[in-house]
Amino acid sequence: MDTSPINSSLGIFPSSWSEKRAGRIPGNIPIWVGILSELTEFGIFFIAYFVAKYNYPEAFSEGPQSLSTITGVANTVVLISSSYFMAKAMANIRKNNLKGCEKFLWLAFFSGCLYLCFKTWEFHWNDVQGFSTNSSPFFTVYYYMTFNHFLHVGWAACAILWVIFRLKKGAYSAENNSGMEALAVYWHMIDLMWILIFPLLYVLR
Amino acid sequence: MTMFSFSKLEYLWLTLLAIILFNTLLGENVESTALVSILVALTVMYKGLIVIDHFMELKDANKYLRRMMRIYFIFFPSLIILSAFF
Repeated sequence: MDTSPINSSLGIFPSSWSEKRAGRIPGNIPIWVGILSELTEFGIFFIAYFVAKYNYPEAFSEGPQSLSTITGVANTVVLISSSYFMAKAMANIRKNNLKGCEKFLWLAFFSGCLYLCFKTWEFHWNDVQGFSTNSSPFFTVYYYMTFNHFLHVGWAACAILWVIFRLKKGAYSAENNSGMEALAVYWHMIDLMWILIFPLLYVLR
Repeated sequence: MTMFSFSKLEYLWLTLLAIILFNTLLGENVESTALVSILVALTVMYKGLIVIDHFMELKDANKYLRRMMRIYFIFFPSLIILSAFF
């Protein structure tokens, strides 16, 4: 019987399950419960998008042309880069390079903040153009998806600050970094959601 | 002096950025067709799989998590292709 710490502490897996056989879990199990919940939530948004697009094809053809594409592209570049910085932070902590790790965590944090600034400007720009949640079915879906994503970036950016604080306190090292890795996989999940949102709302007509 | 060396992560990052620009140019300059939707869907799928395998590091990790994530990123881009025909 498997007596690994994960299995014995949670007791939710069949006795045949073992981390060794199934493979390592990046971060920890609780963060993956959170990630899969978030994926389900965004999955419902994506289904709603396709249903709405099927029923209102004209609104979804005109909608993307009303948005600021350049802001959408800038946000995509910023988020992809932040994911890269987070991956570099993990690579550095594994080498016990705490300074390098901290540098990349700050870069990921500032990328997140830049995204929030761009998105705030975009919401303002939409408002100036006269677009709101009620303008068309496209804009209803747009605001649901992007504002929800905005909130996720916001609280995950706060989590990066917490991880930087813990790093400075000496909580992470090459051997012990599962807490930081949990944040990293969560941050990548947020990036993944934007990878899907961007073409749906800004590119496809 | 330390030289900045390109590792796999840097190449993947630049690949992802190049795909973003390609998708944007496609959406902005080419008349919307089923072919454009298929190309966009395939590139989104590819981007997702890169992030899942190399940034989330699921390639050599838990096979169930990796399978779930990959199915998610094959399913939704496939809906983009499907929606191009309806």
